[in-house]
Amino acid sequence: MLRNRRSDLVVAYLLTAPFILIYAWLFVWPVIQMVMLTFTDAPLIGAGKSVGLANYTRMFKDPIFFKAIWNTSYFVLLTVIPGTAVALGIALMVSRLGGWLQSAVLAAFFLPYILPVTVVYVIWDWLTNVQFGMLQSVLEWVTGRPVNLWRAIPWFMPSVAVITIWWTNGFSILLFLAGLRNIPKDLYEAAALDGATRWQMFSRITWPLIWPITVLCLTIQLILQLKIFDQVYLFATGGRTQATMVLVQYIYEQAFQKNSSGYAATIALALFVIVVVFSVLQFQLLRIRGQK
Amino acid sequence: MKRLLSAAVLAAVFAAPMAMAKETVVWWDFLGGGDGVRMKKLIEDFNAAHADTIEIQATTLDWGVPFYTKVQTSAAVGEGPDVMTYHASRIPLAVSQSTLSEITPEDMATMGLSADSFAKETWDAVNVDGKQYAVPFDTHPIVLYYNKDLLEKSGLIGADGLPTGLDGKDNFTAALQKLKDDGNEWSIVQVTADGGFAFRTIYSLLCQQNGVIGGDGAWFPDDNADKLANAVQVIADWVGNGYNPSYTDYPSTVALFTSGASPFMINGVWEVPTMADLQSQGKLFNWGAIELPVLFDKPCTYADSHAFAIPNNAGKPATPEKHAAVLEVVKYMSDNSLFWATAGHVPANVAVTETAEYKAMQPQATYAKLTANQVFDPKSVHAGVASALFDAAGNAFTAAMNGETDAASAVAEMKATMDALQ
Repeated sequence: MLRNRRSDLVVAYLLTAPFILIYAWLFVWPVIQMVMLTFTDAPLIGAGKSVGLANYTRMFKDPIFFKAIWNTSYFVLLTVIPGTAVALGIALMVSRLGGWLQSAVLAAFFLPYILPVTVVYVIWDWLTNVQFGMLQSVLEWVTGRPVNLWRAIPWFMPSVAVITIWWTNGFSILLFLAGLRNIPKDLYEAAALDGATRWQMFSRITWPLIWPITVLCLTIQLILQLKIFDQVYLFATGGRTQATMVLVQYIYEQAFQKNSSGYAATIALALFVIVVVFSVLQFQLLRIRGQK
Repeated sequence: MKRLLSAAVLAAVFAAPMAMAKETVVWWDFLGGGDGVRMKKLIEDFNAAHADTIEIQATTLDWGVPFYTKVQTSAAVGEGPDVMTYHASRIPLAVSQSTLSEITPEDMATMGLSADSFAKETWDAVNVDGKQYAVPFDTHPIVLYYNKDLLEKSGLIGADGLPTGLDGKDNFTAALQKLKDDGNEWSIVQVTADGGFAFRTIYSLLCQQNGVIGGDGAWFPDDNADKLANAVQVIADWVGNGYNPSYTDYPSTVALFTSGASPFMINGVWEVPTMADLQSQGKLFNWGAIELPVLFDKPCTYADSHAFAIPNNAGKPATPEKHAAVLEVVKYMSDNSLFWATAGHVPANVAVTETAEYKAMQPQATYAKLTANQVFDPKSVHAGVASALFDAAGNAFTAAMNGETDAASAVAEMKATMDALQ
């Protein structure tokens, strides 16, 4: 059937217009406004005076800002690759199970994922309580005395990382499991006939075929963990928040607690740039490697 | 006869008030604990007593920064409540953000209240630049809770049935040592995992040395930094000597006290309902609460005030009828704050604390006298509960109380943070 290309285009524009308009109105425009905010000393509510680049010079001299960048990077390092590796390991084990047992075990691993962060916080705060926590007896083997994980600075980030992996792992496991199920069984049968070992089957079949899922998991995790806020905020409240500050928490503190939205917007923009750069870099890097 | 009477009552209920419009008062508070339960009772009583005229529609929100930012943002767009609870210590910030409406002298006259109805510091705390922005409902200081049974064993209960021999830093330390020697796991529990919470104790001890925290530009004038370091050192010594558990959070301190592991606890009066409820179930020892002992030169205790404030709803000023209803609500609460005293708080309305019923209420009547020696937060947009000052205290004092840094460098750190605020 012959159709006019121009009328096709008109239809296409008409159909996408609602999305583009709403996207521009609810996303692009606020982003532009936020960038404009960075040049003012605006409080939380209302407009501020223009201050030029003062917020930027302040940011580059602010030790807590750099502390927050360091803590956020450290947290990313502790969670993204280890978390994905753990998820792959668990998925490989779960995929060997069959029937209802597999569903039950999968559900057990997925359960933490559906918990709200406040519940996660309460459970772990209780488990690790320095006076009454059940995990303190385990910790004492290592440290010799009870440790308040949420106030001892060297313990803080690794503890939050472990909890975050425990909490968010279910989703990655699910992705990996779906990927593993998509690998045709014949490949393994053929390899078995050729006398391949278990390790060879993993490194030559599973790993290359699961690689796109691994890239996806790593990218999702990276973006998610760069935006870490809730767990750190909840566990650090009242204590040494500056020593454990992460970027989103610093944005929150500046905007809502210290009433300076202009500066908060500047930090938010810095975080935006960091997220964009890292995710593009990571995705490209991993894709190139995968194509080899 | 009875049926006839009830029919008459029914007729009266349906006939008379229907003509009048019922005013609703939207109410926000942040009272989520044992005091929240008591506040709900007060609201129910109010609604029952004003069934035909006014109805309070109450919502309880999250305490602290979330509450205050919600109030600020909603008032700015005219969507705030008609009346809300507010910490007196947060009023300077709210006034700078134009979040609150002024309470005029005429309003106060309508409610039958005046400056003389409140303790001087409490009244002072709700006024900024000569204008009143809230009506004090209570003052809530910190107090020293004690386990009477354990103190008796160590000979620390005097002839009047109250703890004795605690005044003066050396005497207090001796008492803590005695309690430890007598086999108590801990001598005292004070929150040590949260320097923001501990600020209340530390600030009291600073005031006991005639010390002050200044305001913007000069946070620790003269020798106040040294005095503050002395105050921090008191708790650091308790932890260092093994009297007070280190890095202990709020729920654990309450658990250590109520389980009898520690004969003393420093905490807010809002924990009184916890003790009263446990005791009524027969699950608690004999207990009491007293004003903080004088460790330095003079008695002084940190306090804050829950007050009622009217938001400045931008573009939506309250109608005269609504305003009158709000004043009626505040007046009712103030008049009936005797019941609020069961939540531990000291009613701000002096007429209430002077009643015989209040004077018979224990341990409230014992510690209520501390309102003569109370100190409120410094008046600054950076001070008050969940403020920048609390936050700085959390960062500086948490490490110092637990011996990770010394008191002097903690105070220096706090000073640097406060001086950097803009």
